[in-house]
Amino acid sequence: MVNKSNRGQMKTKKLKISSLHRPKNNRGQMKIQQTAFMLIAVTVLFVLVGLFFLVIRFGSLKDSATILEEDNARLLVNKLASSPEFSCGNAFGTSKVNCIDADKIMALKGNINVYSNFWRISNIEIRKIYPISQSEIECDFANYPECNIITLKEAENSGYTVSNFVALCRKESNNENIYDKCELAKLIVSYESAK
Amino acid sequence: MIKRKINLKSKRGQEEMVGFALIILVIAVVLLVFLVVTIKNSKEEFLGANEVGSFIQASLSYTTNCAEDSSYYSIQELIMECVNYESNCEDGRKTCDVLNETIESLLEESWKITENSAIIGYDFYITVNEQPVIFFEKGNSTLNYKGSIQNFPHYIDVSLNVYY
Repeated sequence: MVNKSNRGQMKTKKLKISSLHRPKNNRGQMKIQQTAFMLIAVTVLFVLVGLFFLVIRFGSLKDSATILEEDNARLLVNKLASSPEFSCGNAFGTSKVNCIDADKIMALKGNINVYSNFWRISNIEIRKIYPISQSEIECDFANYPECNIITLKEAENSGYTVSNFVALCRKESNNENIYDKCELAKLIVSYESAK
Repeated sequence: MIKRKINLKSKRGQEEMVGFALIILVIAVVLLVFLVVTIKNSKEEFLGANEVGSFIQASLSYTTNCAEDSSYYSIQELIMECVNYESNCEDGRKTCDVLNETIESLLEESWKITENSAIIGYDFYITVNEQPVIFFEKGNSTLNYKGSIQNFPHYIDVSLNVYY
């Protein structure tokens, strides 16, 4: 009869004997190889992921530049109506928000070359929305105020466009009375897209 | 014995596989988060931050064709005349009627709702003590909207919400 503890001893002995068949360093080499392969696989995986991140980041670099320019245009269109070159000031009663002096704009249009690099945008346009007009007529000194578009700056290739509503005000005369006339218009600003 | 050996080896192999799978899972989650953030950031904005507010301000300054003593009322003055006095223009028209017509036309021309437009609806209210006096609603209302409100004395409010 062989008791339980004896059985265990026998097994251990047998294991020891079987391990003698293979050299110990062979097993170690295998383990090192396994670890090395695993490390290589993990490193390759991380490198691939890193490359993926880089490709996406550099791919969106141009988009980021465009977004920045868009933000600039948005900020500019918000403050442009309040700038001294555009705003009504106190010419039409109390000071008004989002109010553009049309007479001032026409004077500015005549001297726009002086402002060529002042706002650093490609297009500035003021387009009357209401009252509605049947055709699009560009304003000049001959037809003003019987027109509906005032183009201050114009470029061939304009990128993103942002706009804001403004009150386009001027002095109007009627039966020897002079009164303030404000119409609804859109101030449109465009910039060249990032190259 | 041989079976035990094989079991031990396969268990170790399984552990390594699970570890590797965990690493891939973590990386996949990180990538997913990165992609979601990138897509969210690139969401296009249809309306400028100040476009609705600027519309209200510009509209209030608009000169109507309703006159008194040869001077024409602005929308802001017309709101006060309509709400406080319900007065008439020089030509006999009611100030409230002129206000209604003018605001409707201004809204129609400024916020055009078509099948292809980004804007799908708007609602415009002139309220006194939170009770609507004049209001216009067009199109559908959604959770994506930009709005603005202008307060006046005597609890008169002018508000506009534009849905996209």
